[in-house]
Amino acid sequence: MRQQYARRARFLMAAMGLIALAIIVQVVRIQNSPEAAIFRQRASNYAYELKTFYPDRGEIYDRNGHLLAGNSIVYEVGVDLNAVRDVNAIATAVSAELGLSYESIADAIQNPSAGLTYVVLADYVDAQNAQNLQALKQALNDQAGSAGVGGLVGLEFKSHPHRSYPEKSLASNILGFVNREGRGYFGVEEKYDALLAGSPVQVLVPTDPNKAFEIPRVPDGTTLVLTINRDLQAATEQILDQALIDYGAPSGSIVVMDPRNGEILAMANSTRMDLNQFWNYGSIYNTASDFNPPISTPYEPGSVIKILTMAAALDSGAAVPGTTYLDTGSILVGGATIQNWDQNPWGLQDMTGCLQHSLNVCMAMLSTTMGAANFYGYMDKFGLGHLTGVDLAGEAAGRLKFPGDADWYPVDLATNAFGQGVTATPIQIMAATSSVANAGRIVMPHVLNAMVRDGRQYSVPAQFAGTPISEATATTLSNMLAVSLESEGSLALVPGYRIAGKTGTAQIPVNGFYDTTHTNASFIGWGPVDQPQFMIYVWLERPSASIWGSETAAPVFAEVAQKTILLLDIPPDSIRQQLMNK
Amino acid sequence: MNVPNVTHYIHAYKVAPWRIQVRWAGSVSLGVLALTMVASLFLYISSRTAVAGREIQNLNAAIAANQQVNTDLQTQLATLTSSSVMASRALELGFVPATTKDVEYLVVPGYFRRAPAILASAELPQMSAPSVPREYSQSLLEWFDQKLTLPARGLR
Repeated sequence: MRQQYARRARFLMAAMGLIALAIIVQVVRIQNSPEAAIFRQRASNYAYELKTFYPDRGEIYDRNGHLLAGNSIVYEVGVDLNAVRDVNAIATAVSAELGLSYESIADAIQNPSAGLTYVVLADYVDAQNAQNLQALKQALNDQAGSAGVGGLVGLEFKSHPHRSYPEKSLASNILGFVNREGRGYFGVEEKYDALLAGSPVQVLVPTDPNKAFEIPRVPDGTTLVLTINRDLQAATEQILDQALIDYGAPSGSIVVMDPRNGEILAMANSTRMDLNQFWNYGSIYNTASDFNPPISTPYEPGSVIKILTMAAALDSGAAVPGTTYLDTGSILVGGATIQNWDQNPWGLQDMTGCLQHSLNVCMAMLSTTMGAANFYGYMDKFGLGHLTGVDLAGEAAGRLKFPGDADWYPVDLATNAFGQGVTATPIQIMAATSSVANAGRIVMPHVLNAMVRDGRQYSVPAQFAGTPISEATATTLSNMLAVSLESEGSLALVPGYRIAGKTGTAQIPVNGFYDTTHTNASFIGWGPVDQPQFMIYVWLERPSASIWGSETAAPVFAEVAQKTILLLDIPPDSIRQQLMNK
Repeated sequence: MNVPNVTHYIHAYKVAPWRIQVRWAGSVSLGVLALTMVASLFLYISSRTAVAGREIQNLNAAIAANQQVNTDLQTQLATLTSSSVMASRALELGFVPATTKDVEYLVVPGYFRRAPAILASAELPQMSAPSVPREYSQSLLEWFDQKLTLPARGLR
């Protein structure tokens, strides 16, 4: 009996063993079959999805750490079509809160494109609006309870960063703006777009929810610290706005720069825009060059260029401060008669008097004495006709004609010497004139002070663009300009501080002739003369109160200089001398 | 009791068929138990791995969201302290803009003029995003393989 049981048991074991073996063989066979390979291939196609991680755009600060451009949260409001219960409720709530059309919302939900399960109703919705809708959705859900009907179920909110400018229109011409696609336009936003935007990272993300994946490291865009002083920028814009009213000028610009290193401390333009509403750009500006004229609108600057002519004459040895000449009120150059601004003779003048009275005849005499090759050689070294390399988008180079150019005439040698027939931007003239304030060296104007990336701050060193004149020439000319201002009792003078500078009153060429009624009034100056810490350029277009730069641009310079002195903590010359002597 | 009989019983006990069967059954059971333990351990680790991975992802998402909120708050703060707002608040409080005549300069030993902002020290260096350790994404077999092959790789 026991043997019979044992036989049956062995038979059963063998049978089950065979079945188990068959199962194992079948499993192995299926796993390694060609069909299995196809299924594995199909599965692998859906196992991962390519996902792009975008970095947050870098912020922009002024030199004292005030945020000028940052990021804020905005919301995309959409509808999960599979979850919607009450189209009417959603359309009513969203149209009331966001000011959209009820019909268009209802239509978007009820008639979506084929295959869509999610519909975007609005994007870039303010946090406040989105929070109101979220609160309403929550309240309706609470009221309805678990068995509730409708409400705003299906209404979804997705947050994402958006460029924001806390100072609104302040320094808008310097900053530029970013559109909704994340591309920078104008100013710093365009110039440093790649740095600010950072680099998106693409990774394959497993679709299996149980598979953990490594979040890629996506460094934020580089944060920029500008050389701009926010408070000085605000004060400069305020002074400019008031000057336009006081002097009846339709537009104007003011630039404040440190002549020792080229740091732009303020750059004001009369036309500004709230950067948070960048879509108004087209209705505010006529042309792209209107966005930031100090760098992108070349004009005939007039007598401010006499600084460069005199610098060239002194440096080349064509004149010394004591050189005298008899001013007869006119000079013949290239068959054309050049006259002084008042068409009067000024008699015997030295070079300081020449600058003080802004005598065109004197400048024509100097340039012709130097000769075209020498004169234009210096103007070229001063950078006229060349880009300064300022790190703002949209810089224009202006035009300096040279002998041999089709439109150059011998009389240009004379007129160019006092700023006619040559065009330059304010930033070009400042860069060129910085050589006089900075011991002969031209600084490269810039607005970037430092970059912050990966927790480290990298300072941007000052750069220089040549040494067109000697230190001795620069010092001599600075003193001559200071004396000329003091001698005439210029409105540009600032009590307690020695200032050097020059006015410019330039006629405006219109259709090949000069407008006899309007001028461009300019003033460029710097101080303190013995240790320059600021250089200011004022440009008022077509002032109606007076056509003269000495009566319009010069007092504006003085006002900006006083603000600069206050905000930069520059003590009066007497106290500074005491400190230096200790 | 004589000794040969005892030896006989012991021998009979040792060669008894049921005893061999028990030994076999015990060995098989031990094998099954070991496999069950390994499988259980594998399942336990796998589930914990999945949960931990999800938690890490959620935390990373929360960190990203918090960073966005921080940035938003920073921008809001900048708006509240913007130049125009501060100027109007100062005027409301009775302050007037200073002029050069209002300022008296004193010599303060050791005073240095305000230097440009150093923003890097205001925040911690940006470290790489927290990475998920390999143990959280590899299978048990991969873990064994790693442990077995690592020393060999170390000899290279």
